[in-house]
Amino acid sequence: MHKKLAATLAACSLAIAPVTAMASGTVTFGVQAPITGKYANEGQGIEKAVKLLAKQQNADGGLIGKTIKVRVCDDEGKATQAALCARRLSNAGVFAVIGSYTSGAASAAQPVYARANIIQTSDGTADKLTQRGFKTFFRNAPPNSAEAKFTGNYLVNVRHFKRIAVVSDHSSFAKGLGDAVEKAIKANGGNVLTRAYIKSGSQDFTSVLTSLKSKHPDVIYFSGYYSDGGLLRAQEKQLGMDVPFVGGDANQNVAFAKIAGKAAKGTIIINVPAPENLPYKAAKQFISAYKKAYGSAPPSIYTLTNADGMRVIMKAVQETNSLDPNTVENYLHNKIQKFPGITGPISFSKNGERIGSAFQAFEIQADGSYKTIYPKQ
Amino acid sequence: MSTLFQQLVNGLTVGGIYALIALGYTMVYGILKLINFAHGDLCVLGAFIGLTVITSLGGASGSPEIWVVGLAFVAAIIAICCAGVVLEFAAYRPLRNAHRLSAVVSALGASMMIENGIMLIWSPQTLVFPQGVLPQISWHVGGVVITFTQLMIIVISLILMASLYLYVNHTRFGTAIRASAIDQDAARLMGINVNRVIVSVFILGPALGAIGGLFIGLYYRQAVFDMGWTYGLNAFIAAIIGGIGNIPGAMLGGLLLGLFNALAGGYISSTWQQAITFGLLIAILLVRPTGILGERVAEKV
Repeated sequence: MHKKLAATLAACSLAIAPVTAMASGTVTFGVQAPITGKYANEGQGIEKAVKLLAKQQNADGGLIGKTIKVRVCDDEGKATQAALCARRLSNAGVFAVIGSYTSGAASAAQPVYARANIIQTSDGTADKLTQRGFKTFFRNAPPNSAEAKFTGNYLVNVRHFKRIAVVSDHSSFAKGLGDAVEKAIKANGGNVLTRAYIKSGSQDFTSVLTSLKSKHPDVIYFSGYYSDGGLLRAQEKQLGMDVPFVGGDANQNVAFAKIAGKAAKGTIIINVPAPENLPYKAAKQFISAYKKAYGSAPPSIYTLTNADGMRVIMKAVQETNSLDPNTVENYLHNKIQKFPGITGPISFSKNGERIGSAFQAFEIQADGSYKTIYPKQ
Repeated sequence: MSTLFQQLVNGLTVGGIYALIALGYTMVYGILKLINFAHGDLCVLGAFIGLTVITSLGGASGSPEIWVVGLAFVAAIIAICCAGVVLEFAAYRPLRNAHRLSAVVSALGASMMIENGIMLIWSPQTLVFPQGVLPQISWHVGGVVITFTQLMIIVISLILMASLYLYVNHTRFGTAIRASAIDQDAARLMGINVNRVIVSVFILGPALGAIGGLFIGLYYRQAVFDMGWTYGLNAFIAAIIGGIGNIPGAMLGGLLLGLFNALAGGYISSTWQQAITFGLLIAILLVRPTGILGERVAEKV
């Protein structure tokens, strides 16, 4: 009796399984981002952007007829947590993952997604992310090397700094960018006075700054994140150092000016254009929808590059009318040409690198807003 | 030369904060032989309460509002003293006669509860103290810059430490504290209410801790829910360096640790700062297992 029942049940489930898979009209997008911790601001921005895009697409009839579901995993910006998130999301059967914000967390998750053939798009800018040969990975922001090239030229040839101090933290992103900038400065015939390191999150950078001060740099370049950058700038001023402060792309966050307070004024940040300065139609539409939905502007450009990552994946699914990862990946690598993104036209190279994007240098104004100072507009 | 003096000023500021927090560890240890692992989180709670008072009463104008800061200190001290007493009643008193390890586990649990409580109430994000609530004055003395905030931290910590030292050594109740530290049973036979002494230690320690926590917030203008662990650990090391259970030891240990951190970060490598700190701890414990002042003083408080 029992055997019979079990057999019937097994038969039923076998018969039902393929049917449910076809009839289930949903496709799940994963978000792996730092929802809590130091970079919570950025992580929550990514989560909100993805949820907004899903809602818009669902209101528009879904993605090739399927309802988009979003599943979020908080990696706290840490590599260990990122690997756990990657397993959790792949076990949940997601089709693609947006994230993570930090290169370290994105890189820890990469092999897991690659093994499960899940498409991953991240703003992580460490060069090595696209050098590991994962066909599932698509970078939605320009890499460190492009930024470093711009920065080196700006510091040496545009501003004519002679004694450049390069400061980094120990994250894979900041160290990578710092190294690349140092190389670019030398390639432009410039002089790196010293290379200094801070411990991210340790709050007290006065000892590093004091020893920097004794070496008399004419500019401080910082390649780390905004939470440390804001404090570094504030403590630089507190110690009576009056040299320009140039920050890498991860310093572009509204929180930088809040943390640095009055010292924020005059800080120069190098990045792709700020959200409000993007000239594209898609940008204006998305930002106004975002503001309407959440009552505030996106925290940084990375909210938007990640939104672009999701948009381009959805576009590829629609064009190929397929949810087969291989087909979609192939389309993204070879067919997408200058897709009109929020942050500019999008195409990918063979190794998942986003091709072409313009960097700018902006200066933080007294009211905390950004003003583009190079290239001249 | 001015670089060295600047590092000393920076180190003294942080050292003063470490010393204030370390006093809380050392006083509780002196009486109960218990490491109160929740102490660092109590200090952070003080910073958050102070921040709430400052942002709700002022901070928007950008001009100095000393009375708001003063009020923030009063509120933080009162709240953290209450929290300290509650902690003693809820987490430690029921375990007074249990194995010592049980109390340590209870302390760790209390630490997690406070930390996560802060996260739930104030959000997991980094909160920023408004700029300008303290006067933005700085003095330049021969190339060395001292800000008002730094001077305030150094001076107030030194005054507090001196007052605590006088209180413990030159008052009746201070004598009771010292007596309870040496032998609780004998103290009880002499008519000292040991439970009252224990509660008083859980008021004094957290009060100093709340001030230390608010100093951290005002100095770095930041508060994060999980920073209690880092500051707690450093202050704990300071207490051990000076000789845990010994009040002047905690003061000395805190100041030394702050100075040492600044010099190591400035002259050797900020990457290895933490490793160098722990190296110093090991070296001191190898030479003097009870800490710098641990043996010289007969009575431990």
